[in-house]
Amino acid sequence: MRAHHIALKDLRIRLRDRNTLILMLLLPVALTAIIGFAFGGDSGMSAVELFVVGPGEDQMLAGAASAMLSRSEFFEAEPATEDEARRAVQAGERSAALIIPDETIEALIEGEPAEVRVLQDPASSIKAQIVRELAERVTAQLNAGSTLARGVFDALERERELGEAERWRLGGFLFQWMRDAWERPRLSIREETAETREFDVRSYFAPSFAVLFLLFTMISSAKTIHEERESGTYDRLMSAPLSRATFIGGKLLGTYLLASVQILLLIALSSVLFGIRWGSHPGAVVAMALATAAGASSLALLIASLSRTSRQTDNVGTAFVLIMSLLGGSMWPVEQAPESFQRLARFTFNYWAHSGFKSLVFNDAGLSGISQQLLVILIMSVVAFVLAARFLARR
Amino acid sequence: MTRESVISVRNLVKRYGAIAAVDGVSFSVERGEIFGLLGPNGAGKTTTISVLSCLTSPTSGEVRVAGIDVTADSLAVRARIGVVPQEIALYPSLSARENLTFWGRMYGVPEGTLAERIDELLETVKLSDRARGRIDTFSGGMKRRVNIAAGLLHRPEVLFLDEPTVGIDPQTRRSILELVQSLNADGLTVLYTTHYLEEAEFLCTRIGIMDEGRMIAMGTRRELTESIGATQVIRIVADGLDDSLCASFRESPDISEATLVERQLSLHARVGANLLPEIVAGLSSSGVRIHSVEVDDPNLESVFLSLTGKSLRDGGSHEQGTPEEAPEEAP
Repeated sequence: MRAHHIALKDLRIRLRDRNTLILMLLLPVALTAIIGFAFGGDSGMSAVELFVVGPGEDQMLAGAASAMLSRSEFFEAEPATEDEARRAVQAGERSAALIIPDETIEALIEGEPAEVRVLQDPASSIKAQIVRELAERVTAQLNAGSTLARGVFDALERERELGEAERWRLGGFLFQWMRDAWERPRLSIREETAETREFDVRSYFAPSFAVLFLLFTMISSAKTIHEERESGTYDRLMSAPLSRATFIGGKLLGTYLLASVQILLLIALSSVLFGIRWGSHPGAVVAMALATAAGASSLALLIASLSRTSRQTDNVGTAFVLIMSLLGGSMWPVEQAPESFQRLARFTFNYWAHSGFKSLVFNDAGLSGISQQLLVILIMSVVAFVLAARFLARR
Repeated sequence: MTRESVISVRNLVKRYGAIAAVDGVSFSVERGEIFGLLGPNGAGKTTTISVLSCLTSPTSGEVRVAGIDVTADSLAVRARIGVVPQEIALYPSLSARENLTFWGRMYGVPEGTLAERIDELLETVKLSDRARGRIDTFSGGMKRRVNIAAGLLHRPEVLFLDEPTVGIDPQTRRSILELVQSLNADGLTVLYTTHYLEEAEFLCTRIGIMDEGRMIAMGTRRELTESIGATQVIRIVADGLDDSLCASFRESPDISEATLVERQLSLHARVGANLLPEIVAGLSSSGVRIHSVEVDDPNLESVFLSLTGKSLRDGGSHEQGTPEEAPEEAP
C-alpha cells in the first residue's frame, strides 16, 4: 500500500514541474507540428521545380514538354534558355534542368547517337534524381520512337524508294502516332497502397516523437531514485517502517503511471490538434500505449540502476535514448535504410513501439495485428525490470 | 531511582573497510531524558545515529532501542523511533501539509487521525498559517521546523535529532532548542547530536563526548566538568610577562596549570576568582602592565580540551597546550 503513496507522490511532483511538462507534452507536439509544416501533409515532399530547355529558338518542344510535365502534381516545369537554366540551378532556384540539345531530334531522325542532358543542383539530390529518372524515361521513349521510325522507313524503302514529300508525310504520321501513344498508353501503371490510409507526415512522426520524448521523460523520472539519496529523503524513508522493496516498487509504479499519462495525453492531443486517427480499435490503442509505457519505464529504471548518481543517470540515459531513437526510427524513416540497418533497428525498443503505432494508424490494426509488437515490448519490459530490481537491491 | 533505558548501546563498532567510524562505544539513554552526543565533525556521531535508526548495521556490538535489537527486528524499531536528519529531508515542490501527509503515511499513521495529527504538529512548530506553502518557499528555520515535525507524526518513543540547527541563525536555533525542550517536557526521549557545546550545555540532561569514534567522557555537565578538576581559567593579557613569572605560578599549590603564549597568561585554578586579587597584586608588583583579565568557568570546551588536547570549537583540529591522555573507557 505504501508503494502506491510513493508512486502518487512522485507523480504529483513531476506533474508540477514545468520542465517535465515541456519535455512530456510541449516538445513532441511542437516537433510534430514543425515536421508536418516543413514537409507538407501528403507526400512529404514539395513539387520538383525544373526548367526544360528544348531545341529551336521558339522553344516549342520545351513549352509542350513543360506543359505536359506540369499537369502532374510532382512537377512544376517551365521552358527556358540554357543560360537561364544554368544560372537558376547554380543559384539553387531550381532543382534541375532538362536540356534537349538542338541536334537531338535531327540525330534521332538520321539514326545517329544523341543525348539528353540533366543539369542538377547537388543540394537537391533527391529531386535531381527524380528529374534524372524522368530524363531516362523521355530518352527511352524517344529511342523507341526513333527505332520504330527507322524500322518503318527501312521496310518501306525495301519495296520502293520514298520521295521527300512522302517521307515528311509518313514522318508526321509516325510522330502523331507516337505522341498519342505517349499521352494515352495502352499499357499503364496503376498504383495501389498496401495501407488503408494515405501517408501523412504528421501521422508518421507523431508516434515516433511520442516514443522518443517518453523515453526522455522516463529517464528524468527514474533518476529520482538517486535524487532521493542525494537529498536525504531516502534515508528518512529507510528509517521509517517500510522495506526497500516497497521503495523500489513505489518508484517503478510512479514512473509507469507518469509514462501512461504522457503517452495517452499525446495520443489525445495529436488527435485533437492534428486530426491524427489512431485506428478504429480503441482497445488496441490503449494496449499499445500501456505496453509502451511499461517498456519505457522499465528501461529507464534499468539505466538508473546501473548509474551511481542522478547526473550519471542523465548522461547515460540521454546517450541511450538518442542512440536507440536514431537506430529505431524515431527521427527518420528507418524503412528507407539498407536491410542490414533495418535488422539492427529491430533490437531497439523504439522500433517495436513505433511499428505498433504505425500499424494502428496506417493499417487500422486491432489487437491481433499488433500482437507481435506487444509481445516483444512486454518481454523487453520484464527483462529490464527484473535486472533493474536486482541491481537496485544490491545497493 | 533507576529509570528505564530506551536506548542501550554496548561496545558498538562500525567499520568501513579499515576505518573504524565508531570504535567500541557504549552508552544508554533513559526514558524522558535528552541525551547529547557532542563531538567534532567526524567523531562518529552520525554513524552512531545511523546504526540506531537502522540505516546501517553494526560491525559488532549490541544495540537495543525500545528493548528491541536493531539487527533482529529493524521494522519494529523503526516503528518506534522518529528521525530528524541533518539534511532537510523534505520534498521542495510539495507543501508543508503534503510533505507531512506523505511522511505520516510512510510511518503508518492511520488516515483517520493523520489530518488531525498534522494540524497539531503544525501548531506545535508554529507553522499553521503556512501549511499550504511549498517547502521551497520557506526560510531555513521554517524548513527545519517542518523537518522536526515530520519525525514526530507517529508519536515515536524516542526522537533522534542529528545536528538539527546546522546553517541557521542564532535566533532560529534558539527557537528550535526551545521546541525540543517543550517536546521533552511532554515526555519525549531525545538523542541529540551536535558539535555546538552551547547547545549541549543548554539542552541536554546528560552528555556523551565523542572523538575519533570513541566515547571519551559521559555524564551530566557538572559531572563532566568536575571530572577534570573543575578548574576555572584565568586569562590575563599584559605587557612584561616572561617565562620566569609563569614558572612561579606553576609552583603555587592552588594553580594546577600555567601557560604563557605571547602576551596572554592562562592560569587553571579550582576557584580562580578567589585568587584573582592576589594574582593581580603580584603581577603589578613585578612591573607587569595588565591590559585585561577574564575568568572562564569550566565548560565542555574545557573538558574536551582537557581530554583530547584539542579545541572542540575548531572541529578538533587545533591543539592547545599540552594534550592530556584520553581515558580508555568512558566513565
